[in-house]
Amino acid sequence: MVPIKILASALCALTLSVTLSAQTPPAGGRGGGRGAAPAAAPRANPKFPADVVARGKESFGPSCGFCHGLDARGGDGGPDLARSLFVLGDENGQQLGELLKAGRPNNGMPAFPNMTPAQVKDMAVFLHERVEAARNREGTTPPNIVVGNAADGQKYFNGAGKCNTCHSVTADLQGIGGKMEPIALQDKFLSPRGGRGGGNGAAMAKKVTVTPKTGPAVSGTLMSVSDFAVTLRDASGDRRTFTRDGDEPKVVITDPLQAHLNLLRVITDKDIHDLTAYLVTLK
Amino acid sequence: MKFPILILPFALLALAAPSFGQLSQAQIQKPAPDSWPTYHGEYFGRHYSPLDQINQSNVKHLSLAWVARMNANTLGAIVGGEGKEPSPGAGQGGNGVSIKSIPLMVNGVLYFSSPDHAWAVDARTGKEIWHYFWKTRGGLHIGNRGMGMYGNWLFFETPDDYIISLDAKTGKERWHKQIADVKAEYFSTMAPLIIGNHVIVGMGGDFLDVPGWLESRDPETGEIQWKWYSTPRPGQPGAETWPDAFSMEHGGGMPWQPPTYDPDLNLLYLPTGNANPVFIGDSRKGDNLYTSSIVALNPDTGKMAWYFQGSPHDTHDWDATEVPILFDGTVDGKPRKLLAQAHRNGMFFLLDRTNGKAIVSTQFSETANWSKGFNEKGQPIPNPEKEPQRGGALVSPNSSGATNWPAPSFNPDTGLFYLHSSSSYAVFYRTDAPGEKIAAYGGNSEHGVQGFGGQLRAIDYKTGKTAWMHEYPGGANGAGGLLSTAGKLLFAGDGAQNLVAHDPATGKILWHAGLTAGISNAPETYMLDGHQYILVGAGDSLYAFYLQ
Repeated sequence: MVPIKILASALCALTLSVTLSAQTPPAGGRGGGRGAAPAAAPRANPKFPADVVARGKESFGPSCGFCHGLDARGGDGGPDLARSLFVLGDENGQQLGELLKAGRPNNGMPAFPNMTPAQVKDMAVFLHERVEAARNREGTTPPNIVVGNAADGQKYFNGAGKCNTCHSVTADLQGIGGKMEPIALQDKFLSPRGGRGGGNGAAMAKKVTVTPKTGPAVSGTLMSVSDFAVTLRDASGDRRTFTRDGDEPKVVITDPLQAHLNLLRVITDKDIHDLTAYLVTLK
Repeated sequence: MKFPILILPFALLALAAPSFGQLSQAQIQKPAPDSWPTYHGEYFGRHYSPLDQINQSNVKHLSLAWVARMNANTLGAIVGGEGKEPSPGAGQGGNGVSIKSIPLMVNGVLYFSSPDHAWAVDARTGKEIWHYFWKTRGGLHIGNRGMGMYGNWLFFETPDDYIISLDAKTGKERWHKQIADVKAEYFSTMAPLIIGNHVIVGMGGDFLDVPGWLESRDPETGEIQWKWYSTPRPGQPGAETWPDAFSMEHGGGMPWQPPTYDPDLNLLYLPTGNANPVFIGDSRKGDNLYTSSIVALNPDTGKMAWYFQGSPHDTHDWDATEVPILFDGTVDGKPRKLLAQAHRNGMFFLLDRTNGKAIVSTQFSETANWSKGFNEKGQPIPNPEKEPQRGGALVSPNSSGATNWPAPSFNPDTGLFYLHSSSSYAVFYRTDAPGEKIAAYGGNSEHGVQGFGGQLRAIDYKTGKTAWMHEYPGGANGAGGLLSTAGKLLFAGDGAQNLVAHDPATGKILWHAGLTAGISNAPETYMLDGHQYILVGAGDSLYAFYLQ
């Protein structure tokens, strides 16, 4: 259960879908919890100074690495300490020190009575850093997402995908592979309103036409809509809200990017990968 | 009045004129119209009320009785807790409070909670009677689903994993007990469920692949009566669905939705959380029982009678913690004891609740694309190609699911099961380095993409097919839980901060009122002084409506 949804991409902010994470509040309340949005690279954490972690790793390796692995993520018989309830419960090496003194003879873990308190403390910092590193892997950007076949992608672009209906690789998409990271490019054709820079300008915004029972129809850029009200910005820049009662007034919403939305129902993962592989060749 | 299960001292007291507090097992089992004695209002979890004073003919006149805006300010509060300094409760939004709790209403008093806070409020006026504040040691302050009540005693859980018992009359603490260790990243949100002399308690926490369990505690002493682990240990039934001891012991399955309960069968129905590590299942090949399942447990012993796993080997964070609703119905001309659940993964299940056998399995989500159909047991068959992939896998629903924890409703008058649903998509990218050991949420990056919005949906339980659907033009985010009534009304939020009454037969809109936030719990109803009330929480405020 992801209690709070902080997706690596900002795309989600623009979707109209329900994004109710497990235990996420249905209204508001997206802050807090798991800290800042995951970045591509883990940030330096003042709780785990690099030199202390390095010292702890040095102490850990020769004594513990054989069973628990040099990275403490489990080895020959010893459990993964980044997911150890014991490590989670340790406070600044206190419990760790006691354990190392006594060992766990029943589980085949020998005692290490000669570890100095300073070594134990460093090792505790190293182990707690391992826990932190393991949990912070969410949201990491994959190293390379280009796995498709560019030639098939080109066929899809000009064929089943109908991308060439609106786009041209010698016009609007010229050099796109050099302008955007592959993952951003892929996200963009699946969700063109998302990503950095977002909205593609007013031309691509959703439009709405409101036709009251009496009086002229009003058109503009859709700002918000519910069963009870619709708000638009008209050509003069004025914000206008109409209350709704069933079919009155008539409300028609059009989305210039509807083709991209419709793609979601039919595009296969292979099509997606191939199309991306093709687009990244457009340098 | 009869006492089918246990004759408790408090049950005897209840024969006298009701006074402040005091709730007997009989009153929980057969709730009086002037009460809402548990999170779900009743053991079956139907979120259906036989009250009909408010009905289709007069709902246009439903109007505000009062608003109570709750304040997390601890001035004047009764203070308890193990933490050092009072914390305002991070991440709660609004006025420091988000009411996900469905208030109990007992003898004219509302009892509810939010992380670190509990309140008693006068149901006639909305005025605070007492406020209890818990000094926290930490933990994720994401929500609190509310309180349980036994006699004069209230119970609620805290983000730092304590269960606290309060005196309902005064708000003073009787005792508190630790459920789990906050240092292991557990956090607790569940509303305790009272069954006889059992206080049923669960917890959450997916950050570090820790084990999950449900436990029963003594309402007087707080001592543990039994524990049921949601993953097996080596040698136990279900162990064959995990590769090794380590994966079982770190397999998650957090129970955080209050169970439902059938007194006649003496079984409680617990929906369990997803398996861990959450998205990358390489280290836990197999079905991973009993994660993302419904399990039937004996509340006296914690022994499992049966299970049904709705998301075998989940790799998308789709826990099964959506309400398993109990009702009696007719299938193929025969009366049956049933259980229905709309699962986060987009599937609808109708089970025989005596044995857990699936009667109907359907995909309610039109967009869900991760399954290859159903097996002979009625379980969906996951398509491994829709697990996180290097180049990305486009999956519907996203990890937030096609539906989620806010309460659905079953209406025996229409035979329809109502829920809020979402046609969301996300791309799941696999991010781990070759050979890297994955923990918790690691190894996956979920990129949300656009989707087809959200709906209020009615499912015919006999067929599992959608009978009608109301598309929310602006999406269903913040639409909350549901309530249907014998007044031929279905109350829901709408994703645009309105409380709306629909015709449960067709979905037609009959009434609405704009609030200051989206619905954050589920609407409830009760009689008080001859008036039927509709009560709903939206952000930091409770709104009470009645006919004037």
